Amino acid sequence: MDLSTFAGPFLPEILLLAGTLLIFLLDVLGVRRIEVTGGVAVGVTALALLFVVADLGFGPLAALATIPAGHIDAAVAPGATPLYSFSSLGFVFQGIFLLAALLVGLASMSRPSHERGAPIFYGLLLLATLGMLLVSVASDLIFLLLAIEITSISTYILVGYTRRDVRSLEAAMKFYIIGALSTTLSFFGASLLFGAYGTTNLYALRAVTGAGGYPILVLLGYGFLIAGLAFKATLVPFHAWAVDVYDGAPTDVTAFLTGGSKKVGIFAFFLVFLGPVLFVAPGAGASPFSSGAIDLGPVVQITLAILAVVTMTVGNILALLQREMKRMLAYSSISQAGYMLIGITIGTSPALAGATLQMFAHVFMKTGAFLVVAGVAALGVGPLIDDWKGVGVRRPLVGLAFGLMLLSLAGVPLTLGFVSKFVLFSAAVQAQGYFVWLAIAGLLNSALSVFYYARVLKVMFFDRAEPSSLPAGAVVGGSDPPALPAGGLGYGRAAAIALAAVVIVALGVYPQPVLGAIQSAAQHFVNVGA
Amino acid sequence: MIPLLSAILATLVVGTVLTFFAGARARWVALATTLAFIAEVGFLFLAYPGWPGYSSSLVPGFADSESYSWISLAWMHVNYTVGVDGISLVLILLTAVLQLATVVYSWEETKRPAAYFGLVLLTCLGCFGVFIALDVLLFFLFWEAVLVPMFFLIGFWGGPQRRYAALKFFVYTHVASIVMLVGLLALVFYSGAASFDFSALYASARGLTGVIQSFLFLALFFGFGVKFPIVPFHTWLPDAHVEAPTGGSVLLAGLLLKLGGYGLIRWAVELLPNGLHTMQPVLYVVAFVSIVWGSVLSLSQRDMKRLIAYSSINHMGIVLLAIALDSSLGLMAAVLLMFAHGIVSALLFMTAGSVHHTFGTRDIPAIGGITPTTPTLSTLVMVGSLASLGLPALISFPAEFAALLATWDTLAYWVFVPLGILVVTAAFYLWMMQRMLFGPARGIPSTAHDVPWYEGAGMAILVAFTILFGVLPGLLVNVIMSSPIRGFPGT
Repeated sequence: MDLSTFAGPFLPEILLLAGTLLIFLLDVLGVRRIEVTGGVAVGVTALALLFVVADLGFGPLAALATIPAGHIDAAVAPGATPLYSFSSLGFVFQGIFLLAALLVGLASMSRPSHERGAPIFYGLLLLATLGMLLVSVASDLIFLLLAIEITSISTYILVGYTRRDVRSLEAAMKFYIIGALSTTLSFFGASLLFGAYGTTNLYALRAVTGAGGYPILVLLGYGFLIAGLAFKATLVPFHAWAVDVYDGAPTDVTAFLTGGSKKVGIFAFFLVFLGPVLFVAPGAGASPFSSGAIDLGPVVQITLAILAVVTMTVGNILALLQREMKRMLAYSSISQAGYMLIGITIGTSPALAGATLQMFAHVFMKTGAFLVVAGVAALGVGPLIDDWKGVGVRRPLVGLAFGLMLLSLAGVPLTLGFVSKFVLFSAAVQAQGYFVWLAIAGLLNSALSVFYYARVLKVMFFDRAEPSSLPAGAVVGGSDPPALPAGGLGYGRAAAIALAAVVIVALGVYPQPVLGAIQSAAQHFVNVGA
Repeated sequence: MIPLLSAILATLVVGTVLTFFAGARARWVALATTLAFIAEVGFLFLAYPGWPGYSSSLVPGFADSESYSWISLAWMHVNYTVGVDGISLVLILLTAVLQLATVVYSWEETKRPAAYFGLVLLTCLGCFGVFIALDVLLFFLFWEAVLVPMFFLIGFWGGPQRRYAALKFFVYTHVASIVMLVGLLALVFYSGAASFDFSALYASARGLTGVIQSFLFLALFFGFGVKFPIVPFHTWLPDAHVEAPTGGSVLLAGLLLKLGGYGLIRWAVELLPNGLHTMQPVLYVVAFVSIVWGSVLSLSQRDMKRLIAYSSINHMGIVLLAIALDSSLGLMAAVLLMFAHGIVSALLFMTAGSVHHTFGTRDIPAIGGITPTTPTLSTLVMVGSLASLGLPALISFPAEFAALLATWDTLAYWVFVPLGILVVTAAFYLWMMQRMLFGPARGIPSTAHDVPWYEGAGMAILVAFTILFGVLPGLLVNVIMSSPIRGFPGT
């Protein structure tokens, strides 16, 4: 393999790596201003995003495509065991990860210019994103798990990078220990599969799964793999760490964790379970459940279905009980993982498209929401939901953007969140059979979730601020509620939030451009897997 | 050709948005929007092609149809498709009339008028959308869009128990919406149409097996039935009506209940004929129980609004019965009855609101002999009550007559159930009039005065329609019968 064929496809990854090194180099040279490091990070991410979009076949950018046309979604020759392969769904996910990094990077540029740790933050942000991009092209379990590790280790440090806040240090430690445990479980699962089949390559596994061997080893192997990945994807009952970490981490980092690194776990589920196990596709012809010595399909499918329903329900109910804004959003993030898992459980290309769109939407609504929380907290609003009284009235634009994100999370029509749920649940009904019950469970859950989002809207727009809940330094006087302390969110953060809000509405009204691309990518993904 | 329906929709959207931001001038904006809406609906009526027996090219059977692709995937096609037939046209007329009457009646609303008028317009916008949508997703969007403003109308401007009533209304109807949505999605995908378009579903769904049709019909019947409301899912209605502000009650009774009937006809009866056929006994039982139960409960009510609310359950039961008959006469009667009930119940709720404003109470036994003090209001109560109990030459009479005739055609002697209940209906209205309007004066505060001009004008509009279509029901019947479904002449 000569360098040029390697360098072309991996241009986005190389860009991110170069950016990371540049930021650390500048750090050593004493250039630590957030405008510089942040500028490098945002620029590199945007450039990488441009290449990824071009690779997805977006017409106007065709000249930038780095991979020759036939190499994406290419069929793998029987017996070949590539370490990585390019699928358009993988590029969609690269786009999702880069968007999350871009939004967070842009927003963080509004932090104080001389804040300590800016190079660490941006350098690790790029490094974590690099790991995610590698996950998207993996086709070998070891490659996949190592790529996840790049992301994980970067994010452990990101959570604690401020070094002074005890809560975020505690969160980082918790994150690290649980993360190590989940990595161990995943690798143990992979090694059991290697024991059973003599390979860790996903294509090779697909060829041999169900073909005999050692049923106990295989079941245990997949079981450990599910458990390990479920930690990353914050599925109930593997979710307990997530809320503390999301709550304790600096809010911008939380925005990245929920928008980016959690989806790494979900995409790993896509790769592992829509590749080899193939419980896929009722109505795709032959029995969906493998007919060999091991009947893995139904076991995995029912496990995932139960995980999905439990995750949605528990996440929603706990979110309903929260009094702190960040914890409420964290639990709602957990319940969203349940919706995404529905797509994997069903495994048809429509369901996959629905789950992917849900994740795409999640970047804008949940990352965006955490970015707003971080910005508003910097203006002096406390952590409780009740502290948000009157924010929507006194800061109408912030209120509008945050309101749109919450409405989108609740799945209110004409927002992106509605479209993604609509496609997902439609796909569940389209798959027929008992999947209809998954749609009903999902719909009931989204009805439930309306209540806690609506409560925030009510507090924000209808409740009047009491003097005691006002931030220190606010001038109390007259009959009007006093304004928030002077000072804006900063241009970077305002731009990121505005971008998220505009995308939520624009694609909510007319989703065809993105949805069409995702649907065709999902179609290819399932076909290659078949 | 002018995309007339989209133009009306745009008028309503722009008008609603402007109303929300118009501050103190909101009522004028709302009135202007409403007048424009009525003018356009009038044009829609005049331009309605060919009155019996027309055919239109784009969506067969529907006039003024428009269709644009919205979401197009290999397995799913969602379009923005709208169109009207006779049934929706009549209900659109009802929407326009009630919107005008409500805006005029609420002219002096003082509590956040901009939001109030904006929400009223938004409710009517949603209803209009439901009546023109010919795509499952579009239909569902408008269906849900009605829910939210009504929730706020009850929860913000309502009576003492308003929070409870609003929440109950929301939970009941929202759960029903979810069942309905699953039913509609299943309809789309089980029929293999993969298209959310009405005409595609019409072509494919009718071929489904009887069992699947029955299940789908049952899901849709539940979803639409809660809006009707059918016994035993009716308990949200009296609470919502009693607590809602007058304008809210008017729209609730006049329009929202009709959404259930319209949805049942458009998306269940037309698409799932075998399902209807199998489920007919269930529908009969539910209809009879609703008719009897609503009427019997009305007898025992003291609160005027509550009495009218229970009589709505009774009337909508007759609508359900007429739909369940599965005959063209029955279907015509159902639509006519929905129009009639929309006008008459709106009138009655307005009178109840005025009684409350004037006397400070709606408790029927607490006041009596009000006619000398408030002759106009008293007359309006009388007109509303007489119309509701089915006096000839008022609008309910031809509708109920047709419904009973259709019942006799299909069910023969069972017709005596609704017929007998008509006597009970007459009884509780007459009893109410006797206690409230006549006899020695009691419970009349010294400040009592006759209705202000705007309330009177709002009700006068409805009275005019009650009499106009009571004398000339043929105008509506011709429009309804031109819809090419169920053996109507238009087919």
